[in-house]
Amino acid sequence: MARARVFGRNGLRTVLAWQVGRLVAKLALAAALAITFGRMIEFGTVAMPAVAVALVALALSAAAGLVGDLRLASAESAVAQGTRDDLRAKLEAMEARAVHERPAGALIAGLQRHPESLAALVVGHGAARRMLGIGTLLAAASVSVVSWQAALVLLVASPVMVIFFVLVGGSIQARAAAQEKALGQLAAQFEDRVRTLPTILASHGIDRETDKLQARMSAYAASTMGVLRVAFLNSGLIDFFSSLSIAVLAVFLGLGHLNLVTLPGFHDLQLWQSLFILMIAPEFFAPFRRYAEQYHAKAEGEAAAAAVDEFLDAADQAPAAASFLPRLARLTAETGMCLPLKGLVAVVGPSGAGKSTLLRRLAGLEEPHGRLPEGAGTGVDWISTDIAILPGSLAEVLSWNMPGVCSTRLLLAAGRIGLLDEQSLPGGLEARIAAGGGNLSGGQRLRVAIARALLSGRTILADEPNAKLDAVNAGRVRLALFDCARERLVVVATHDRELIGCADTVIDLGHDRVSTSEAAQ
Amino acid sequence: MRPSIETEFAVQDLPATRGTWKLALFLALTALFAGVMLTGVSAWFLGAVALAGAGPAAFSFNFHVPAAFVRLFALTRTVAKYGERVVGHKAALLDQVRCRSALFSAMAASPTTRRAGWQLADQDRLSDFIDDVEDVDYARLRIGLPVKSLLAALGFLAVATLVLAPLAMLPILLMLAATAILAGRLLPRTRSLWGRVRAERRAAARQFGMALASSVPLRAERRWTEMLDAGFDRLAAAEAGRLSSRRDMAILDTAAGAFGPLAAACVLGTAWALGYRGEALLPAGLLAFAWLGLGETVQGVSRMLVARVKEEEARHGIREWTAGSQLSSGEPSSAPTAVATLELLRMPLVAPDGRLLGGTVHLDLQAGRPVVLAGPSGCGKTSLLKQVAGWLATPRGGQVLGDGVPLEPSARRRLFHLGLHDAAVMADTIRENLFAPDASDRECWDALEAVELDGRVREAGGLDAWLRQDVVSLGEAQRLNLARALLSPLSVILLDEPTEHLDRRQAARIMDRLIDSFSDRILIFSSHDNAMLHGDRRVQLVRLGDPHAPSAARGSPSSAPRRSR
Repeated sequence: MARARVFGRNGLRTVLAWQVGRLVAKLALAAALAITFGRMIEFGTVAMPAVAVALVALALSAAAGLVGDLRLASAESAVAQGTRDDLRAKLEAMEARAVHERPAGALIAGLQRHPESLAALVVGHGAARRMLGIGTLLAAASVSVVSWQAALVLLVASPVMVIFFVLVGGSIQARAAAQEKALGQLAAQFEDRVRTLPTILASHGIDRETDKLQARMSAYAASTMGVLRVAFLNSGLIDFFSSLSIAVLAVFLGLGHLNLVTLPGFHDLQLWQSLFILMIAPEFFAPFRRYAEQYHAKAEGEAAAAAVDEFLDAADQAPAAASFLPRLARLTAETGMCLPLKGLVAVVGPSGAGKSTLLRRLAGLEEPHGRLPEGAGTGVDWISTDIAILPGSLAEVLSWNMPGVCSTRLLLAAGRIGLLDEQSLPGGLEARIAAGGGNLSGGQRLRVAIARALLSGRTILADEPNAKLDAVNAGRVRLALFDCARERLVVVATHDRELIGCADTVIDLGHDRVSTSEAAQ
Repeated sequence: MRPSIETEFAVQDLPATRGTWKLALFLALTALFAGVMLTGVSAWFLGAVALAGAGPAAFSFNFHVPAAFVRLFALTRTVAKYGERVVGHKAALLDQVRCRSALFSAMAASPTTRRAGWQLADQDRLSDFIDDVEDVDYARLRIGLPVKSLLAALGFLAVATLVLAPLAMLPILLMLAATAILAGRLLPRTRSLWGRVRAERRAAARQFGMALASSVPLRAERRWTEMLDAGFDRLAAAEAGRLSSRRDMAILDTAAGAFGPLAAACVLGTAWALGYRGEALLPAGLLAFAWLGLGETVQGVSRMLVARVKEEEARHGIREWTAGSQLSSGEPSSAPTAVATLELLRMPLVAPDGRLLGGTVHLDLQAGRPVVLAGPSGCGKTSLLKQVAGWLATPRGGQVLGDGVPLEPSARRRLFHLGLHDAAVMADTIRENLFAPDASDRECWDALEAVELDGRVREAGGLDAWLRQDVVSLGEAQRLNLARALLSPLSVILLDEPTEHLDRRQAARIMDRLIDSFSDRILIFSSHDNAMLHGDRRVQLVRLGDPHAPSAARGSPSSAPRRSR
C-alpha cells in the first residue's frame, strides 16, 4: 500500500493539477456564459469579449479534462504495473515450499485483480478525496468574487452535510454489520454452488439445491436492499443539498432583484452575477458526489491493499525455520560430503526422514543452500511428477530444456523410456500434450522428465522416480538412471529396492549411515 | 427437439420485474426532467425578476409561482433520484436472483458440467465467471435505464428547441451525430480491445497455474523466473489493452462534455439572431440552461459503452458453461427405480478427453458382489465409472444393461449414485452436505460414525454446524463424501478412488464397513492402491490398463481376487 502510494505520487500530482486546471477553466466558462447570457437578457447587448472567453474556456476545460483523464488512466496503469512488478519480484524470490502452501487459484485471481483495484484506490479515489477540499474551496472562492455572502451560505451548508454524512455512514456500517451477522454465510452462495455443481449433480441434490439457492439469493437480495436504502441516502443527501441550494439561492437572488429583500450580497446584483452564482452552486457539490460514487472503488481497493500487503509481508518474513533434518542429511546437504562427481546415489529412509528436503537443499531451493560437489557441472534436472509441461507436441515437450536438439536424439531418448509405444499418446513425437501435461498420467510425466534428463547431460535430482510406474516402465527408468550415472551425478530419493541395489552410494537417513558399494570404491 | 434453457436465460425482460423496471424508468425520467427544469426555470426566473426589478412592475411581479416551481423541482429531483436508485437496484436484484437461478439450472443441465475437469472449482476461473455474471446482472441498470432516460430527455429538449428556435437544432443534431459516429467508431475497437484483455488475462492465469503447480522442479532447473515472467508479460499486455481502451473513452467523454455548453450557446445565439430581446429571450434562456443541465448527464456515455461491451463479452463467456443444456423432461415413466443386476457390455476404455485407450470391459455385477477397478492412474478408471454413471458419452458399442434392459445415460444418472474423487464441500450445514434430506438424525450420525467423522462433527457443533471447503482437510472431505454414499438410497453405488487421501489403516476400516453396509447393493469402486484389499474374498478385482495385457478385462465372476504386486 505504501509502495503503491509512492508509485502513484507523481501521477496523482499530475492528475490533480489537470483536474484543478479543468475546474478553473470550467469556472471561467461559467462566468463567461453567465455574463453573455445575463447581458443579452438584461441589457440586450452581446458582450463579445465574454463570448470569446467562453469559447477559449470551453476549449481549455475540454483539453484539461482530456489530459486529466489520460493522465489518470496512465497513472493508474503505472501503479498497477508497479505493484505487479513488486509482486513478481517477491514471488520469484519466494521459497518453492512457501509458494506451494498458498492456494494457487486465489493467488492467480489476486495477481489479475488486486493491482488494478489498488491503483484505482491510490490514484482515482485519492484524487477525488483531494478534490473534495480543493474543488469546493475553489467553487466557493469564485462565488465569493460576486457575493461573499452567497459563498458563506454554501460553506455553511457543507458542515451540516458532513454531519449527515457521518450519521448516514455510521448507519450504513451498522446495517452492513447486521447483514453480515445475520446472512454473512449466504453472501456467496451462488459462487459456492457453481463451484460445487458436479458434486451436487453426483449426489442427486440438484432440485433441492436449486430451490434453496433461489430462496437464499432472494433473502440475501432483500437484505441487501435494506443496506442499499440507507447507503443511497448518502447520494440522496448530496442531491438534496445541491438542489436545495439552487432553489434557495434562486429565490433569494430573485427577491433581491425585485428589491423585496435587501440582504447584503443578494441585493443590487446584476443578472449575470446571480446567474453565475446559480451555475457555480452545483459545482460546489460535485466533488462530494464524485467522492461518494467512488465508494465501491474504495472498498475494493482497501480489500486489495490488505491482500497485497499480506502477501508481501509473508514473502518478506524470514523463511520458515529450516525444517528438521537428521545430522547426516544436513551434513550431506551443506558440504556435499558423500556425493561423488558421478555415480548413482540413493537416498533412503522412511517417509518424513527428510529425503525430499535434502534434494531441495541440494538444488538450492531452501536455506541453508546445499552444495553439489565442484566439478559436477552447472544446472540440474529435476525428476518428479509435478514437472512443468507446456502444451505442444511430445518433441517440443521433451526438448524444452534443450531447444534445437536433433530429432534422432529425441527419438532415441523417448523410445528408450517407452514414450513412443503408448496407446494414450498416438503419433510418436508428434503426439499432442496438453498444458501442464493434463493428458498424461503421473507415470508418463515422470518418464518425460527422465527423457529430458537423458538429453541434457546435467546432474539429476530425482524424487521417487519410479513410484507410479508398472514393472516394465520401472525397469526402463532404473536402466536409464543407471546409464546416466556412468557419466554424471544422479541423486535419487527412493523406496525402490532394486534401484537402491544398483546404487554406488546409499545414504540411509533412517539409520544415519552411508554405505558405498565395492564397485564404486 | 427439447427447448434449451439457454434462450430462457438470455431473455432479460422477466415479467415479474417489468413493473418495477417501468417504475424505475419513470422515476429516472422524473429525476432527469426535474433536474433539467430546475436549472432552466431558475435561470428563467432570475432573468424575469431582473427585467421586472428594473421597471415599475417590480411590486406587482408574482414571484410565488416560479419560486414554488423551483422548490418543487428541487424536491422532486432529490426524491425521484433516490427513488430511481432504490427501485432500479431492487429490480436489478430481483432479476439477478431469477437470472442466476436460470443460469444455475442451465449449467446443471449442460454436459460441460459432467465432463472431466470442472474448471470452475479453480478460484481464478470462478472469479472470472462471477465477474461475467455480474456484468450481465447489472447491464440493465448500467445501460438500459440511463440510455432510455437520456434519449427521452434529448427528445423532449429537441422538441422544445424545434418550437422555440428551430434553426438551433441543426448544429445540435450535427453535434449529436458527431458524438454518435465517434461512439460507433469506438465500439468495435473497444470490443476487440476488451476481447484481447480477456484473452491475455486467461493466458496469464494458465501460465501462472502451470508455474505454481511445478514450483519445485522449475526452481531446481532455474526456469521459475522465466515462467513467471511469461505470465506477467501477459498481464502487462492486458493492462496495455485496458489503458488504450480507457484513452479512447477519455476522448469520447471530452467530446460529450463539450456538448452541453455548445448546445446552450446555439439555442441562445439562434434566438438572438431571430431578434428576440428582453422578455422574449427568456424562454430561450430557460431552454439553453436546460441543455446545459443535460450536458452533465451526457458525460456518462463512455461508461455505458464500456458496460455494453463488457456485457456482450460476458454473455459470450457464460454461454460456454451452458452450451447444449437440455431441460430434463420427458423421462420415461416406465423406467425402473432400482436394479438388482447390472451388465457392462463392451464398455471401451477412454481418456478424459474422449480418446479411445484401447480395450473394452465386460462385467456382470450383482448386489453384494463389489467390484474394484484397479490399475495405474491414467488407465481410464474414472472415465469408465463416469460412462457407467451416464456422465460421459459411451462410444459406439458400449452398453449398460440393468436387469437385462438397456439403460439410457439419463436413466443411469437418475438410478446410480456417483462418488467423485474430487467431491467438494458446500458452504452449508453438515446435514445439507450429506445430501440426504429424508434421513433421520440417527441415520446421519450412523453414517458419520462409519466414516469416523462423528467426533469431528460433534466438535464442530453437530449436524447443523456450518461447513466450508477451507475448514476441512482432503481426508475429511473424502470421508464426508463416503458418508454421502452411505446415506444414498440408490441401488447402484459408484465410487471413484474412495481411499484417496486416507491413511491405509483407516481406509481399510472404512472400506470394510462400506462393503458390509452395501451388501444389498451393486457397488463398483476404483483404486490405484489395492494392496489393502488383499485377501478380501468379498471383492472382485478387475485390473485395467496393464499395457501388457490390455485387450479386455474380462470380469468373469471368478471370486479369486488376483494379487497385485
